[in-house]
Amino acid sequence: MSNLLKKPTQLQNYESIGTYERFNLSENPFPSEPTVNKESTDKRINGNIYEMQIREHEYEQILTNFIKQPQNNPNHIRLGYIIDSSYIGRGNGKSAFLLNLLHTINREYSLDLSDEQNKCFAIYVSPEPGGRTKTFIGFIDAIFDSILKSQIISVCLATLRLEAINKLHPELNFGHFSESELVQHLNDPAWFENNSISSSSVQSEILNDVHLQDLPSDFPIFSGRNTFYPTFMTQKDFENYFRELKKPKEKIDFIFTHLVKFFLAANFNGAYVLVDDFERIPDFQSSRQKKDFALELRSCLFDGYYTNAKLGFYNLILVLHAGVPRLISDAWASSGMENRAPINQLNYKHIISFEKLTKEHVALLLKKYLTEYRIDPNKSDGLSPFTEGAVHQIGELSEFNAAKILRMAYELLEKAAGIPTQKLIDENFILDNRGLWETGDEPEHNIDIAKTTDLLSKAMGQEKE
Amino acid sequence: MKKPLSSVRKFYFLDYFYVLLKSIEKFSEQDQIFELFKSLKQEHRLGESKYKKLTADAQNLSRVQLVKYQYTFEKVIAESLEYDLIIQESGKFQLTEIGKKLIEQYNDGFESFAISLFKLMESKYEAFRYIIDLLYKSGKAKSGLFILPVYSPLQLGFDRSEIKTTKDIWRYSEALGKKLEQDISKYLGEQRNLSTGSKTLMEILIKDELISSEYLTEFSPIKYNAIISRFRDYWVKYFLQEIYHYEYYLTSFEIWTYRAKQIGIIHATEFYPYFNGKIVYPTAVVVKTTESKDFQKIYTYSDGYSLFLHKPDIETSQNQFVDFLVSAYYDLRRTNRSYFISLAALKEMVCYNMKISEYVFQELLDAVYRANLSGNLKIKISLEVDRLPEETKAMYLKQEPVMVDGRFRNIIAIDVARGDR
Repeated sequence: MSNLLKKPTQLQNYESIGTYERFNLSENPFPSEPTVNKESTDKRINGNIYEMQIREHEYEQILTNFIKQPQNNPNHIRLGYIIDSSYIGRGNGKSAFLLNLLHTINREYSLDLSDEQNKCFAIYVSPEPGGRTKTFIGFIDAIFDSILKSQIISVCLATLRLEAINKLHPELNFGHFSESELVQHLNDPAWFENNSISSSSVQSEILNDVHLQDLPSDFPIFSGRNTFYPTFMTQKDFENYFRELKKPKEKIDFIFTHLVKFFLAANFNGAYVLVDDFERIPDFQSSRQKKDFALELRSCLFDGYYTNAKLGFYNLILVLHAGVPRLISDAWASSGMENRAPINQLNYKHIISFEKLTKEHVALLLKKYLTEYRIDPNKSDGLSPFTEGAVHQIGELSEFNAAKILRMAYELLEKAAGIPTQKLIDENFILDNRGLWETGDEPEHNIDIAKTTDLLSKAMGQEKE
Repeated sequence: MKKPLSSVRKFYFLDYFYVLLKSIEKFSEQDQIFELFKSLKQEHRLGESKYKKLTADAQNLSRVQLVKYQYTFEKVIAESLEYDLIIQESGKFQLTEIGKKLIEQYNDGFESFAISLFKLMESKYEAFRYIIDLLYKSGKAKSGLFILPVYSPLQLGFDRSEIKTTKDIWRYSEALGKKLEQDISKYLGEQRNLSTGSKTLMEILIKDELISSEYLTEFSPIKYNAIISRFRDYWVKYFLQEIYHYEYYLTSFEIWTYRAKQIGIIHATEFYPYFNGKIVYPTAVVVKTTESKDFQKIYTYSDGYSLFLHKPDIETSQNQFVDFLVSAYYDLRRTNRSYFISLAALKEMVCYNMKISEYVFQELLDAVYRANLSGNLKIKISLEVDRLPEETKAMYLKQEPVMVDGRFRNIIAIDVARGDR
C-alpha cells in the first residue's frame, strides 16, 4: 500500500483545550522580558499595547503645553523635559509612553491634535548605550538617523511632487490612493513613466518653491539640475549627502538650516524630537564636554544663526531619569541654558513630571494586555483570571514598576496555566509562588556580554575581541 | 605516571611553604619547628583573610584550633618532602638547596617564589594543565569561563523568616532550579532540565533528616544554614561534574584553582560584580608556541606544549588598559551615586576583560597611577584607602584590597575631564 494512503494509528484529539483557552486567552498576553523594543514585531514589547489612560496626566500636559501651542509664536517652548519622579529607575514605562506619543503625533502630523494650527512630525531618538553619542555631533548623527528611519524625507518629497503635479496637471486626481500608497508611488520613477508624467518638469516646478531658494547648490534636491538627464531624487540621496559631510559645521548647518527649509517647503511648520534615555549622553561626558554640549544645543535651538534657532522648528523633549537633572545642572547653568529652559524649576510648563503608577493604574495596565489577547472579545472577562486583590498585591510587590508588574503577571499566568485545576490567580496563589518573578531581573551589565579578550586566539596570533 | 589531582593536601596558601621553610631554617626538631610555624602562620595571617587579623594570637589557641594547625603543619611537611624542599633524617628536618633558594625568592618577591613552586608542583601533578585544558574545552564559547552560580534564598526574594517548613524549602528549590536553568541557557547556550536534580537533592535532605518528608512540618531553625549550604555545594558540584565534566572532588578543584590564582595562571573570584557565585577563567594558555610578546613562557611539558602566562607589556598595553579601566569605571558608576567606586570590583571587571591576573592588574594600575601623578596621563585617577559606605564589614574582610604605589587601596575615582578618551 502506498505511503500516501497510510494513516497514523494515533488520532489527534480536537477536544484537548489550549493552555490559555480556559482563561479566554489565545496566549500569555504579558511579555516575559518587558523591555520596549521598537523594532520588534511582537506587540507585547514594541510599545503597541498601550493604555493611554495611565499616563493621561502627562499626556494632557504635553498636549496643552507643546502640541496645541501655535508653532509660529516665537515664544513657544522649544526644549522640554520629561523627568521620572521615582527612583526605581528602569521599566516605569517612559519608552512605551514616548513611542505612543510618537505614533499619536505622526498619525495626522498633529493636525488633529492642534486643531490644524500646526503640522508637525515626530521622531524618536535613543542615544547609544555605550557612550558613542556623547559629543554634539554624535547626537546630530543620531537625530539624522531617526529622521531617516521615520521616512519623513520620502513623505516630504512626495508632498512637493504632489503639489507640483496639481499645478501642472490640474485634471489629474489621486483621491483614490491611500496616503502611504501616494508616498510610495511619488517616490518611484517607474510610476511617473507609467502615468506619462514628466518627472523633470515636476522637479523644475518644485524648485520654484520660495523656501528652497537660498539653499546651497549642492543640496540633494538640486542634484542633476543642470544636466541633460536630471536624476530622480529619493531619501537615499539625502542619506548619502549627509554621510559625505565631514566637517561638524556642515552637518549642523544641514540639519538646523537646510533641512528645516526643506521641511517648511513640504508644509511642515515644526517637528518633535523625542530623546529617550538622555542620560546616556552626559553619563559619558566630562564636565567640560557637558558644558560644550549645552552651549551647542543652546545655539542650535535658541540663538545661533540657524533657521531653526530663528523659528524654533524642532521641539526637543528630553526624557530624564530621576537624578539626571543634578548631573547636568552645572553645565546648564554655565552655558546659559538654565535661563532658556530651566531644569530645576519643577513648576514650569516645560517640565513634565513622570509619576509613579497607582493601584488603579495596575488594574488598567493588566486589563489592557488581557483584552488584546481575549479569544472572545465580547465576553466581558475583566481582570480574570486575576482577582482584584491579586492585582493590588502585584502592584505592591513590584513597587508599582510597570516592567516588574508585567513580568510578574507573565510568570503567574504561566504557572497557573500549567496547573489544570487552577482557575483563579488570587492572593494565596501569589503567596504560594513567591520567588517566581524575582528571577531574571538582570542589570544592564553582565558578564555574558562583557567585551573580553580571547587568550587562545591572541596567543595564536588571531586576536579578536 | 602523574599523581592524581585529588591526592593533594588541603591547604590553599602557597605562603605555608615559606612559613615552614623559615621554621626549619631555624630549628630541626619537629616540636620547635611547629612552635615557630604557628607564630609565623599568625604573622602572615594564613588560614583566614590574609589581610586582616581575625583570630586570637598564637599563644591562646583553643584545642580545636591547635588540632587544625597541627593537621596543616603535617600536610605542608609532607608536600615539602615530596618536592625535595626539605629532608628528614633520623627525626630531624633540614633544608635542601631548593628549599634555601625558595626562601631567597620569597624575600625578593612573591611572584618568582610562586612560579618556582608552580614548576615543582606541575612536575608531579600536571594539575594546572589539566584544569586549564578543561576550562578552555568546556568554557569554549566564553574563552575558558566557568560559572558556578550560587543564589541564597534572599537573592531569590525569599525572606529567611518565611522559610520554616518543607514546603518553603521546596519553593526555594524550585526557584533556584529555574534560575540555574536560565543561567545555563544564557551563559552556556544549553537547555537543561534540573527538576530531577532538585528532586534528588530534596530526597537527600529528607534522608539526612534536615527536613521532614511532611510538607507542612517545620524544621529546626538551627538547621537552616546547613540546609542552605547543602544547596550551594550540591549545585556547584553539579556544574563542575555534570556540565564541565571535572573528574575529581570539588575540594580539589578549589585548592588547585586557588593555588593557580596565587601563581597568576587562573583567576577565580566570588566577587565579580553583577554575578552571584563564583567565576573561574584562565589567564594563561597551553600552546606549542606563540609569536605574541604579551605571553611569558614558564613551563614546558614533555609533549612539547608550554604554559604561557598572559602578561601584556606595560608600554604597549597602557592605552588599552586605560580604556578598559574607564569603561568598567563608568559601568560601575551607573549603579552607584558617588564618584568613588570599589577598586576591588573594578579590578574584577578589568581582569576579566583583559584576561589578566591580579598581579598584572596591579602592575598596570601602578604604572598608570604613577603616570597620572606625574601628569602624563590623559585621565585623572584618584585612589583612596577608605571604604564605601554601603560595604558591610564582612565584605571588607573577605575581599582583598589592591596594593598600588606601595599602599593598600579600596576605592577609586576617575575623571576624564582632561580630554577626550
